[in-house]
Amino acid sequence: MLDIQSLTPREALGRALADLGDLREDVVVVVADTGETTRAKFFAERHPGRFFNVGIAEQAMVGIAAGLALAGFMPYALTFAAFLTRAWEQARNSVDRMALPVRLVGTHAGFADAYDGPSHQALEDIALFRVLPNFTVLAPADSCEVYRAVLASAAVKGPVYIRVGRDFHIPTTCELYGRFEVGKAYVAVEGGDVAIFTTGVVLPFAVEAAQILRDRGISAAVVHFPTVKPLDYATVEKYAQATGAVLTVEEHMVHGGFGSAVAEYIVQTRPVKMAIMGLKSYGRTAKSPAELYTYFGLTPENIAARAEELVKLR
Amino acid sequence: MAPLTCKARRYILLMAAYDPGMHLGSSLSVLEILAALYGTGRVKFNVANGVKNRNYLVLSKGHAVHAIYAIAAAMGHLTIDELRETGSLGSRLQNHPEVDTPYVDVPNSGSLGQGISLAVGLALGLRLRGEEGRVYLVTGDGELDEGQSWESFAVAAHYGLNNLVTIVDLNDVQLDGHSHEVLKKGDLAGRFKSLGFEVLQVDGHDVGEVVEALEKAEKSDRPVVILAKTVRGRGVPSIEDTAKQRLPRDEALSYANGPC
Repeated sequence: MLDIQSLTPREALGRALADLGDLREDVVVVVADTGETTRAKFFAERHPGRFFNVGIAEQAMVGIAAGLALAGFMPYALTFAAFLTRAWEQARNSVDRMALPVRLVGTHAGFADAYDGPSHQALEDIALFRVLPNFTVLAPADSCEVYRAVLASAAVKGPVYIRVGRDFHIPTTCELYGRFEVGKAYVAVEGGDVAIFTTGVVLPFAVEAAQILRDRGISAAVVHFPTVKPLDYATVEKYAQATGAVLTVEEHMVHGGFGSAVAEYIVQTRPVKMAIMGLKSYGRTAKSPAELYTYFGLTPENIAARAEELVKLR
Repeated sequence: MAPLTCKARRYILLMAAYDPGMHLGSSLSVLEILAALYGTGRVKFNVANGVKNRNYLVLSKGHAVHAIYAIAAAMGHLTIDELRETGSLGSRLQNHPEVDTPYVDVPNSGSLGQGISLAVGLALGLRLRGEEGRVYLVTGDGELDEGQSWESFAVAAHYGLNNLVTIVDLNDVQLDGHSHEVLKKGDLAGRFKSLGFEVLQVDGHDVGEVVEALEKAEKSDRPVVILAKTVRGRGVPSIEDTAKQRLPRDEALSYANGPC
């Protein structure tokens, strides 16, 4: 896996698809003029007969992927997450209601495409796919996890949404665990005073926040949830009850996303103090995703501060 | 084919007598198009998906699914008792093709334009499998307003899917009135031709003409569209060429009980 770590998230995505194509003859890839930018071209180079470009037409892409699934294939359809959500109703009516094994991959998610501004920055995709009954929702943190999540997604029976960035990531998960299991959370840092739950690329920010908290005498656990749905309820329960204070962090709107999923479970079981960190409105153009994380407050310092507030409220 | 369509038309009106929620006019306009497909054995009832080299029907105008139920009943696959329950909570005959709807090859049409993409994807997949089966796609003219429809037709043309035969039920009516008044469709034949389709034009109520066009389409090396001119509500003068969906039960039953 060492060479995967040197790839960008989208390169890991393209590489994973190409490798998956070697393993399974039923895997086909559909793009909406996004073979280059999603790196699906890695698949196209190795499996040209199983690669289809439908032009800049996201709705047709999702519907055609559903049709390919009806013909017995396992389609991966890739485009910018921001534009994939344009085909949400197709995902609902043509894919989810039949529970077809279509895999929708939204790249450039969150602030990954800092350069193109808010029109290109998907901050609602987790909420939109999570609400569909049959969809599994994956949000890997780095290239290693993108690679593992894509390979693991092939074993899921129904439809899957996979949230991927572009080039930004801080390698964190390669050594954290060996095998990616859909539906499983991974503990990055053990701690007993507060639990920080993450999904997607913000995991390393939380790990750094835990170090800041340790210096202040607070023991923070960091648990990473690359699968937003089905959520690993047992792990949510375990760390919520052990600490009595849960902070969720995501590169997504605070409404309807990962934090909401955690909150829905906690308020209906044994409530603990909780806070949800994420975005409350649209992004903006910047020179790098890192600038945007700082601008919108998704930083280790802010995560540590919110966690500290929660500990005091317990 | 006249006995089949006569019987099926009566069954559509029987369903209309008991279910005011069904889309009556649209089922009556598409009937002969579907009869041409089922009556010649091009598409069949009771063939499992995945059977090698089978053909598929995608009824993208899913609201006209009652025409399929009526043909199924006329061919002995459904009982009159079951037709009477169409659209009831406990019935398997729902008002759009659903996952558990019998005798529907591809469910989940009904959201307009989406069946077109499903058909194109299915045709692409069958070709990739090296199968000889065809996909017969039946659409309405109103749903050609959807951008997704043309996105998908462009893909069919680009990939040269000659295993896809599209039939447009040109009844010139959609929810808000006559299609050409709601939104001009332009020169439809020209629009399809410019993408690379072969275009055939027929009277959509003449089964013989439809079958002849299907035979021609099946020999083409390109995707073919058959523009089938029809009348919405065909056979029921009080609703013909209107957006009207409902008939008083007595009137519907008088048609349903008429002779064939």
